[in-house]
This record gives sequence, structure tokens and C-alpha cells, in this order.
Amino acid sequence: MKQKLVLFTLAWMLSVLTAWSQTRIISGVVTDGKDPLIGATIVIKGSAGGASSDAEGKFSISIPEAGGTLVVRYLGMLVKEINVDATSSNISVVMEKDPLMLDEVRVTAIGEKRSMRKIGYSTSQIQGKAVASSGESGAIQGMSGKVSNLAITKNTGDPGAGAFIQIRGQSTITGNLQPLIVVDGVPVSNSTLGETTDGVVQQSRLNDLNPEDIASVEVLKGAAASAVWGTRASNGVIIVTTKKGKRSNKSNNMNVEISSSLGLDYVNREYTKQSTYGQGSAGKWAANVGGSWGDKIANRSGADTLNLAGAKFVAEDGSVYNTITKKGSKSVYNDANRDQVFRTGVTMNNNISISSGNEKSSIYFNVADWNQQGVLNGTSDYRRTSGRLNYSHNLNDKVKVSLNSVLSKVFSNRIQQGSNLDGLYLGYLRTSPDFDNTDYLGTYYTAGGVPTFNSHRGYRRYLGNAAPSYNNPGWTLNKQTNTSDVTRIILTPEVAWEWADKSILTVRTGYDISNDRRITYFPVLSAGSYANGGFTDDMIKQSELSFHAYNKNSFDVNSDISLNTTVGFLYTDRNFYNIGASASQFILRNQDRFAFINSTAENKAPFNSIENLENNRVYAIVDLDYQDKVFLQLTAASEAASTFKSRFTYPSATLAYEFTKDILKSDILSYGKLRASYGVVGVEPPAYIWSTNYVNSVAASGWGETLEGAQFGGSIYRSSTRGNPDIKPEQKTEYEIGTDLKLLNNKIGLSATYYSNKTTGAVLAVDVPASTGYTSKWDNAATITNTGFEAELNLKVIDNSKLIVNIFGNIGINRNMVDELTGDVKSIFLAGFTGTSSRAVKGYAMGTLWGGKWDRDAAGNMKLDANGFPMAAAEEGVLGDPNAKYRAGLGANASWNGLDVNILFETSQGGKMWGGTSGVLNYFGISPETANEVTLTAAQAATVKDYNGQTVDQIATANADGSYTVRGNLKNFGAGDVLLNQTWYQGLGGGFGAVAEDFVKDASWFRLRELSVNYKIPASILQKLKIPGASIGFTGRNLALWTDFVGVDPELNLTGTSNGRGLDYFTNPGTKSYIFSLKLNF
Amino acid sequence: MKKIIKYIIAGLLIAPVITISSCKKDINEQNKINPNAFSDSEPALMITGAQLANVMANEGEAARLACIFAGHLTGYDRQFISYGLYSMNAGDFDGPWGTIYADGIAQCRLVKAKAIAANNKVLEGVAQITEANLLLTTSSLWGDIPNSEACNDNILTPKFDKMSDVYNYCISILEAAAANVGSSSAYSAAYSGSFTWKEVANTLIARAKLHKKDYAGAIAAASAGVSDGNDFNANHATASPGAWNLYYDFLDWNRAGYISCDGSYIVNMLDSGTSASKRDAKTDETARFDYYFLKDNYTPIDPNMYGGVFDAQADFPLCSYVENELILAECYARTSNDTSALQHLNNVRASHEANFGGYQAYDASDFATNSALILNILKEKYVSLFGQVEVYNDVRRTGNVIGVPANVGTVLPGRFLHPQSERNTNPNTPAAGTLFDKLELFQ
Repeated sequence: MKQKLVLFTLAWMLSVLTAWSQTRIISGVVTDGKDPLIGATIVIKGSAGGASSDAEGKFSISIPEAGGTLVVRYLGMLVKEINVDATSSNISVVMEKDPLMLDEVRVTAIGEKRSMRKIGYSTSQIQGKAVASSGESGAIQGMSGKVSNLAITKNTGDPGAGAFIQIRGQSTITGNLQPLIVVDGVPVSNSTLGETTDGVVQQSRLNDLNPEDIASVEVLKGAAASAVWGTRASNGVIIVTTKKGKRSNKSNNMNVEISSSLGLDYVNREYTKQSTYGQGSAGKWAANVGGSWGDKIANRSGADTLNLAGAKFVAEDGSVYNTITKKGSKSVYNDANRDQVFRTGVTMNNNISISSGNEKSSIYFNVADWNQQGVLNGTSDYRRTSGRLNYSHNLNDKVKVSLNSVLSKVFSNRIQQGSNLDGLYLGYLRTSPDFDNTDYLGTYYTAGGVPTFNSHRGYRRYLGNAAPSYNNPGWTLNKQTNTSDVTRIILTPEVAWEWADKSILTVRTGYDISNDRRITYFPVLSAGSYANGGFTDDMIKQSELSFHAYNKNSFDVNSDISLNTTVGFLYTDRNFYNIGASASQFILRNQDRFAFINSTAENKAPFNSIENLENNRVYAIVDLDYQDKVFLQLTAASEAASTFKSRFTYPSATLAYEFTKDILKSDILSYGKLRASYGVVGVEPPAYIWSTNYVNSVAASGWGETLEGAQFGGSIYRSSTRGNPDIKPEQKTEYEIGTDLKLLNNKIGLSATYYSNKTTGAVLAVDVPASTGYTSKWDNAATITNTGFEAELNLKVIDNSKLIVNIFGNIGINRNMVDELTGDVKSIFLAGFTGTSSRAVKGYAMGTLWGGKWDRDAAGNMKLDANGFPMAAAEEGVLGDPNAKYRAGLGANASWNGLDVNILFETSQGGKMWGGTSGVLNYFGISPETANEVTLTAAQAATVKDYNGQTVDQIATANADGSYTVRGNLKNFGAGDVLLNQTWYQGLGGGFGAVAEDFVKDASWFRLRELSVNYKIPASILQKLKIPGASIGFTGRNLALWTDFVGVDPELNLTGTSNGRGLDYFTNPGTKSYIFSLKLNF
Repeated sequence: MKKIIKYIIAGLLIAPVITISSCKKDINEQNKINPNAFSDSEPALMITGAQLANVMANEGEAARLACIFAGHLTGYDRQFISYGLYSMNAGDFDGPWGTIYADGIAQCRLVKAKAIAANNKVLEGVAQITEANLLLTTSSLWGDIPNSEACNDNILTPKFDKMSDVYNYCISILEAAAANVGSSSAYSAAYSGSFTWKEVANTLIARAKLHKKDYAGAIAAASAGVSDGNDFNANHATASPGAWNLYYDFLDWNRAGYISCDGSYIVNMLDSGTSASKRDAKTDETARFDYYFLKDNYTPIDPNMYGGVFDAQADFPLCSYVENELILAECYARTSNDTSALQHLNNVRASHEANFGGYQAYDASDFATNSALILNILKEKYVSLFGQVEVYNDVRRTGNVIGVPANVGTVLPGRFLHPQSERNTNPNTPAAGTLFDKLELFQ
């Protein structure tokens, strides 16, 4: 009774109020018939203003006194119109599922929303939730396997490592190889600067984005989709939309979400090392040598013979290492040495976000902290702290202003890797099994007792009497410093003004600025050229200012045809600035400071460089809808840029035809669309390549010796790269045809696309004969084609009120070909080594692996030397194609009573990789295969020869029964068995021989990319805890990997985001992760 | 109509923005000048770069490989084990080639043109000498090489000239240079020693004519060649990476243990009691042995990189008095003037006596035959020019009369393979051939 009285009073008050304003407030709830729908939009037909439903599906909206029509929209649901008469005050809206999911909204290249039905090109969307739940620190890495023909190659498992993103194959050679990343409508930097065959793994600036902030990611693959971005769209465009604030039903109109996760990382692939033979050569132990071709450890006496009066090394913990006069110890340290290098990586990720909104404004706020300790047991970490504020406000019915802003602070420590005497894997993997790396730091005493403090002990200098040839991994992990300290700010103010009916002018500016201070520090006694110390302090500043104005218009020509037009102008100004200095030959050797005062004048070298790129672009887009079934879009962009001389025009056309509106519609085929598109995009040439430069003279060899003009009174001479004033942008022309189908009443969704694109005039510094006086020349030098097919499938296996099970899959097939290289150029070096490299070779795919081959006769048989061993061909050639023949993802998700389970498998089939590490481990006698033993009869031993031509009975002693047991493997190259032993592996048969052919291996893989389980804790439990909402989850990443490639995850690539693919050479390892998360909502 | 007006307004709104952008300064302006480099340079600054390329060609990678082939050095680790077994392909020769042409010859020709325009005879001559020094070394290793069409902006695929034509060209520009340089030793930032350019030009002519077996011509040139105490050296006085001795740079700084002298013929020759020892009653090589070699360092016998021949700050001879005298000695001997030959050989021994001690002058009676004298001269040259390309030239030119043993098989490599980098881009590159082919002048 009391309640009724209250309600009556309220209703009376409401009626009074509404009478006053001639409007009244009605409230309601939106559900799908069972659960409330959050974020449904409710508008009054024919008027501005609207509302959205809250976490309980509730909404309230003001409505004219006389009533009106409510239009309720929700993604994936049919639009519902509800007539509200003068008396209704509480509305219950039950939305029905759109059987065709036709109202799926996609984001276009300029950041506008468009119905999927009307889109005539291939595009893939990933929800932010899927990106964030992947447990990757980088937003893009989390998309792996979820989109067809989107290949994401992580550089290494190092925390914060960048990734190479490739959409539909590689279509340029040296230009920007990565897709353009557009966040909330403005281009942002995704650069990865400084990727080489040595050094540290660099971050991608894209990783500065917090995946938790992402609402959705749209991958625009083809030229037609992204033509308005002109010379920046050749590699596709990835459109990232960040989260917006939403109205809350709570009294304080505030949704707070707190999420925390704990991630545990482990190395996912390791090399196996032999444990049978010790350090040395030719079957004898020898200290400090590189190889493990020494004596058999099991046959040793049992204890080392020491010279206690000789030189010694005293470790920090007091352990003493004396001079060994005879090796006798049978200890093997492979496990201890492994444990020195790896640990369980730990990641703590904490997010707090606040979301709020009303009819006029919305606000989304997030602070996040990602704090990761890498799997490498030393200074390997990554910490990203970011804050985001997205705010929008409707000033009135016509004008909306918004500001998206984000600030990130990223600090990380990296570990040296690759072809690098100071790198981790090089020193670790080459270490002999009978050497203990544990004590790497201590004091060396000469026999006379003279100490050298801070001495560095490694297997190449077991007493630490000088810098070892390779770092002890402990030194690499703990003594060297490689930090990166980044501050990043992105601001995106925007105003949209509906200045006339159905005509909206949007003006958007973006400013993206980052500073990265990198320190590279090698203390005195580091290996190689840093024996006397080395230090670089490097500051990189990047910024991009963009200004984008466009006007969107829509009107109906007649009842059949409606027209949308957009005219826009886009200006971008990118600046890059780098300043720093290097110093070497430290004068004070025992203290570490990042200061240049510790070197003499001739050992300091400052450097700087700047780059400025300006583009302006005008574009027009015309969308023509005919009878709501044929959709034609025409665009034209005209671009001028600082890097090329005449304006270029990029046209595109797309056509979508929903044929099921006319024919073929049936119970089986519920929806069908055919689409076709054509477009042209480009790649701008690099800055400052019009003329030949005059630079500091340097004469250097690939082995490192260098003569610098600066050391000889200064010298400035002509660069060996020839400029080209006639350089034009690269042009990529692409067409695609495809279809989107819904079958069996939306149970099956299928999308398939065939595309073909051709890049002409690819810009690169093309190799020219050195005898011309240049080694390379900038030119529009190559034609590259990609042809491929991609398909995505979605299958609703079960969909009832209790259980939903979806299966989804995607496949991408791409064939890449370098059709033409200018002039007589046969191949172009992209990345790698002088012996084995990744190249552009005419008639082969981009990145083709290239190197030394076996000498063969016309019939293809190996030519053999007098001893029956193959020989090196005089010329190098193609060794394999690193590009996958196809990549595919297959996954499923199921939800039942608040429990969500996702599983995703991914595979890459057919690509090749150069196993440089394996080849070199053969050389060093570390690979298990090099520790095999064979037993030969006396007769065999008298004939079977090794690579030096010695027979087995000449190099081994007979067993008691007259047979011979010898370290090595028997192999028949065609002229009878020969013995592969140290002479072979250190000669032509190992990784330093002239022939790389045998080390290029199939790098196909199949992996369990993701497994995640989330459980929404039921309200009944939460009520007791007084928590409005909570869920717990687990994500496993890369949990299982099946591959024939030995030692390392073949998904990695030594040269990172550079254009060279398929190279492994002491690359830091990949990881698998277990992530546990807790999410609380208040 | 209303719609049309709307479009006009929309157009008007956009137009000013476009106009602003197009009225702005030329958008290409900033790209015309590279802020990080220059558009031209002074010839006096450029010649240093070319000279460093010359040092690199004669002391760096090419010299190392030549000396592995000639038995001075042995491949001890990594790729150098294969190199030591003559198991190499065209790609292994890419490195020096680019330096020689792009950093060396091309710059010389640019300097030459600028010097002629400025009527600077001395600089023209210095550029000619540097160019000839580079071309001679290159042709002596590879045989036929691009020359007449090389380093010409209008020729994209230069033809290969015959080795003899390259030599003749070099001799002609060296003769012109000798006239151009007067008594100058200017423009020598990359070099050390109290040399004069004229003497250097003459020793280089003598070297070229010796290769051509024009002994009389070589005698004439060498007679005006590098004189005692006036060696032409690469300058490594500064103790810093980027300046120091290139052998040191390789042996200690960058690639410790890759190359050794362990088992090399030069050790065998200089050591005592070995099968090929050149020590005799008048010759004690002990001091020179210790200057050249270092025992039990990275390998059992390394080249002496600490205080010895390849110390970090040891200058490296490019044209020496010793070489010049030994050219004279050999040419006199080959033209049957044993008396003069002996005199010049003894000049060299006197020089060694002053530097190391242990060398008495030979008498005519020490040599029973002319060929014994020639053999002694060649052996002396083999050990005196430690680490130099010329050693490999002598071995091939003389049919390996001093008997350097092959590491595998019975034949020493006869040449460098034309680089893969050139083959990839220049269809005029001669057919691949093998490492054991003999070059035109060294048949």
C-alpha cells in the first residue's frame, strides 16, 4: 500500500513536470527476451537527442507529451520501432536477433561507420575484447590468427618486442613495409627503428597502445578500401577505435572496472646441446677454444689437474678457478648453464577504467600498468604505464566536440642478441658442455698475484685474464645495459558540426609525439670490439601532426537512389629527429657511468639526423545506394608530398550487390552479396634521395675493420648510393572480387575474396655494379605482384538459451612474385649476412633466401671431390622461399551460464627458414648430431675417409675386436660412405662453410595460439560479497607448437620488421604464456 | 536546388583549406636539400677517402685473402677454415670490390676532374697515383676488370678490360702523374713516411712492368723509385678504431683467432731448423721472426699484433724501399746483371740489418747460379713484404718457384673470383671459371 502511494505520488509529480515542459520522461528496459542489453541506442523518430541502455538494460528518455516513435538499435539485432502513446510511461523493449547480422557496423578508412551490407571490399573486424584477452602486450600481436591474410611475425619473445605485420603479402621492397595504423581517425606511428642482425630487439611504437583501451580493430586489406590514404596505404590500413564512455544506471552514473592479471612466460623452444664431448679440437681437450670437439667426457680420469701456483680467477662468491694443466672432470653443465639464462617471466597487468555518460556527454578514463619481467634471466623487462581520457560532448543538437588523449610511459631493458659476440644466445649456445658459466664476474690474479678486478670469465677465457671471445651469458644478462625510455602522447581533438540538414562537417586534428632515449652500454672487458668499453646515448624524437577536415552529405535522389558524398582534405607533417653520441675506449675501467667523460676526444663520436615529411591530400567519396541492394562507392584522392614532385591521383571503385534481394534466396541461402572492387594506392619514396649525397668517408669490410676519414683530418666524399631526381611514388593497383554469404538462417556465415595486386615502380636503392662507382642507386626499380585468396567462416553449432557454440576459421593464401627488377639486376640484398641473405630475386618471391649452394652437374647431381664429398658452387643462388604457402586459423568459442571458453589454433605452412644457429652449432660440435659415434669394421675403417681425406683407421685407434669407433656420422653423397666429423663440420658442412643450402629448412608450424576461459561469477555469490560484477579468467598463449624446425620458434625473425624474412641466427627465443586474470565491476 | 546550394557551400568550406595548402611554400622545397649530408665536396677532402679505400684494398680483406692463398696466413676459425681450403664462392669476394670502385676509383676520377678544372697539377697527379695503385692491385687479383667504362655516370654496365690493357693504362697515368706531382708529398692525410709522390709513382710503374715481365722498363722506373728511408706507408698513428692497423683491427679487435700463421709457409721459412728455412750462415732471422710472430696467443702462432709487425699503431707499407730494391735486384738478375742484382739484394739486407740485426752482405760466391740468386731474391721478397698483396702476385708471376705448398691439392689459387655482387648486376662480368684459373699476365 505504501509502495503504491509512493508510485502514485511520483507519477503525479511526473505528470506535473511534463505538463510544464510539454515533454515527459519515460523509462524502459531493453532485453533480448532473457538478458538485459547494455548500450542499446534509443532515439525518438524525427528528433535529435537520444539515450542508451545501462548495465541492466534500463534507459530513460524525454518524449513529447503526445508520444512518438522510439527507434531502438542494438548491434546484431533487428531495429525495433515502438509507438509510445500519450499514456505509456514504462516501456519494455524486447529485441529480436537479426538473423542475418546485417546491421554489423564497420569502420571505414576515414573513421566513419558504415553498415557491413553496403561494403564492397574485404574487411575484417576484431573486437577489442579479443585483442585484450590475448594477453599480448602489443595490440597487434593479439590479432594473430584471427584474420585471414594478416600475418604477424613477432621479432622475438623479448618483452615489448615489435612485430612484423603483413597484409596480403609484401608489396613493397624498401618503403614503409608496415600497414598504416589509424587510431580514432588519425595516423599514428608504428615505427620500429634500428632492427639489424645484431643489437637488441626494438619495440614497435604500436605497442605503446594499451590493448584494454581498444573497442575494435578493423583491418582494411585492399587498395580500394584505403585509397583515401594514398601513399601511406599500400600495405593496408588498420583502423583502431578506442573505447567511449557509456551511461551508467547507477546513482553516481559511473561504471568502474578494475582488472588485474598475472602472466607467466616460459621459453617455448630451445636448442638441445650434446653432453658427450668436451671443449677442444681433434679429440683433445683444449681450454679457451671455441669448439666442443675435444675428448669424450666419460673417458676422463675424474678430476682436473690444477696448477695452484699459477694464474687464477676468484669469483664474487669466493669460488676459485685455478689454471688447469690436465682436464679430468667428468662434470657436464648444460643444465646449470641453461638455468643461468632462463627464468619464468612474470607479467603484472593492472587496469582501472571509469566510464560514464549521459545524453550530452560521454567519458572514458583508463589508467594501466603493464609490468613484465622477461624469460631471459637478467635485465630483460618492459613496463608500460598509460593513461587515457576519451571525452565527447554535444554542445547542442548540431555540434559535438570530442577529445581523445593518451599518455604512455614505456621503460624497458633489453638483451643483446643475434650475430653479436656480446649477444646472449651466441655465448650461451656455443658454450662447451663441460664448462660451467655460473661465475662470470670476479678477479683475475696472475701467477705473481697481480689482480684485475671486474674480470670477465667465459668459456673462451676460463681464467678471465682478458675479455673472452664471446660473452659469458651471465655478463650479457647482467652487466650490459640496453634501456629504452619512451614517453608518448597522442591527442585527437575533433569537432563535428551538422551545419545543414544531413550535412556534417568534421574537423579532426591529431598530434602524436614520442621521445625514446636509448642507452647501449658495454662495460670494459665485454667481448669483441668492446674490450675497452663502449657506450651510446641516443635520443629519438618522432612526431606527426595531422589535420583532417571532411564534409559528409546525404540525400535521397528519389525513392530508389540515395546518395552520400564526402569531400575531405588531409594534411600530415611528420618529423623525425635523432641525436646522440658514441664513446669507446674507457679511461676509468672499473666504474660504470653513462657519461661521455670516460673517453678521450678521438674516441667520441656524436651523430644527429633529421627527417621531415609533408603530405597533403584532397579526396572525394561518392556512395550510391540503389534500392537498398546495390551499393556503389567511388573515391578519388589527389596527393602532393614533399618526397615526390608531381601530384598523384588514386582512384578506387567498389560495388556490392545483395543478390538475394532479387534471386536465389531460400531456406538454405538467407543472404548473399557479391562484391568487386578496384583501387590504386601508393608508397611515398624516402626523403632526401633526389641527389647524390656527400658524406663522411668510411672504408670498411664486412669483417669489421674500418678506416674513417674523420680520423684522418676529416674527409667528405661522394656517397656510394646514387640519387635520383625523377623518383615517383610506388603505385599498387589492386582488384578483388568476393562474396559474403549467410546460410541456414544465419547458422553459417562465409566470406571469401580473391584478389590480385601489382606494385609498379617499387622504390629502392637498387644494387648497381660497383664498377659504375656506386654500389646502389635509388630507383623505381621493381614490379611485385601478389595474388591470393582469403576466406573467413563462422559456424553457429549450437545456439539456444543455455549454450552457444561457435566455430570460426580463416585461411589466407598468397603468392608473391618479384616480376621485374630494373636493368640487369638479378637480386637485391634485403637483410642478413654476406653468406646467407634474404633478397628480392627476379622471378622469385620477395625475401627469397639466397646463399651458397652445392656444385651440381647439368643433371642436378652433386659434383664430388676425390674423397667423395660435395663441393661449393662458384656462384650463389636461391635457397628457398620464406613466405608461407598458406596461413590459417581455426577456433571455437562456447558460452554457457557465464562461462566463456575460447580456443584458437593457427598454422603457417610451406615457408622456409635459414637455420643459421643450427648450422653454426654443427660447426662448434654442439648439435647432438655432431656427437654421434659410429663403429666400423677394420675393412671399412681402411677405406672410409673424412673431409681431409684421412681414413678412419688413420684418425682413430682400434677397439679390442679390431673395429673402430669414431665420433661422426656416415653419409653417402654418391661415391660411397664418407665420415662427417670435425673436418667436415668445420669446413664445408658447417654453418661457416660456403654452402648454406642444407641449413634452409621447412619452417611450417601449427600451434595452439590461444586458449582462454572466462567465468562470470554469478550474482548470487557476488551479492554476498557486495560486488556488483566480477569475472575470473585464464588465457594460455602459444601453449603448444608443432614444427619440424629445430631449436627456435620459426615464427620469429632475426631482422624483425625489416624487409628480410626467414632468418634465424642466435635470435632470442620465443615464449609461451599462462595468464590469470580477475575483473571487478563497481 | 536547395541541395545544389548545399554542395556549393560545402565546396566553399573545403576550398580555403586546399587553397591554404597549395599557396603554402613549395611542398617539395624541404626535400631538395638533405639536411644530413652535403651536395658536393672539396677535392682535397675527397682524396683522403679514396686513399683510405686504397689502404683498405692493399691492407684489408683483399690482402688477407691473397696472403692466405700465398701461404703467409692460415685460416684458423670459422669461414676462414673454408677459405684456407680454397673452398670459396664468388660472394666471398664481394667486400673489397665495392670499396675499391665506389670508395676508391670513382672518387679519384672525381678529384681528377676537379683538380684539372682548378689547374691543380699536384692534386691531379695524386689522384692518378691513387687510382693506379687501386687498379693495379685489383687487376693483379681479378685479372680482367672494368676500367675504360668504369665510374662513368652514363654507363650502367661497364665492360671488362683485359688485364694487360688495365696495366698499360695504369702505367700511362703513373707516368703522367710523375710529371704532375713535381717533388710534392702533399695530400697525404691517409699516409705516413717521408715519401715523395714522384718516387711512389715510379715504384708503382716498376711493379706493373715487373708483372708484365718488362724487366728493362722496371729497372728504369725503379731507379727513380722509393729511396731509402722514404717508404710510402698507410698511416695508423692514432690509437682508435677507425684509424689503426687493419690487420690488428681484424686479428685482435674484430675477429680474434680467425686467422693464424700456424702452419704457414712464411713461418716455415723464417724459423730455424724447418724444412723451408731460409736461414743460412749469413742470415739470422731470429729478430725478424719475433717481430713478425707471436706464439700461443689466440692460436699457436699469430701474426705479432702487440708491438710487432701488425701492432695497432704500426704503419703498413704500400710501396717500400725494400720492395723497390728487390724489384731492381730481380730485374737485374733476370737480365743477367748479377752484380747489380746482388748489390740491390744487399741493400735490402743492409736495411734489415739496421732494423733487426742478423744479416751480413752476400758475396757473388754465395750463389752458384743465376737462378739461385733469383730464388734468394724472391724468397727475400716473400718474407720482406709480410701481409702484402704483392707476395701473392710474385708467387703466381714466377710459377711459384719458391715452392709455397698448397693447403689442399697441389695448385695454389690463381686468382680472385669476380664478385657475385658484380655478376648479379653487370652482364659483362666474364664467365665464372674457377679459383685456379691463371690470369693473363701470370700464365
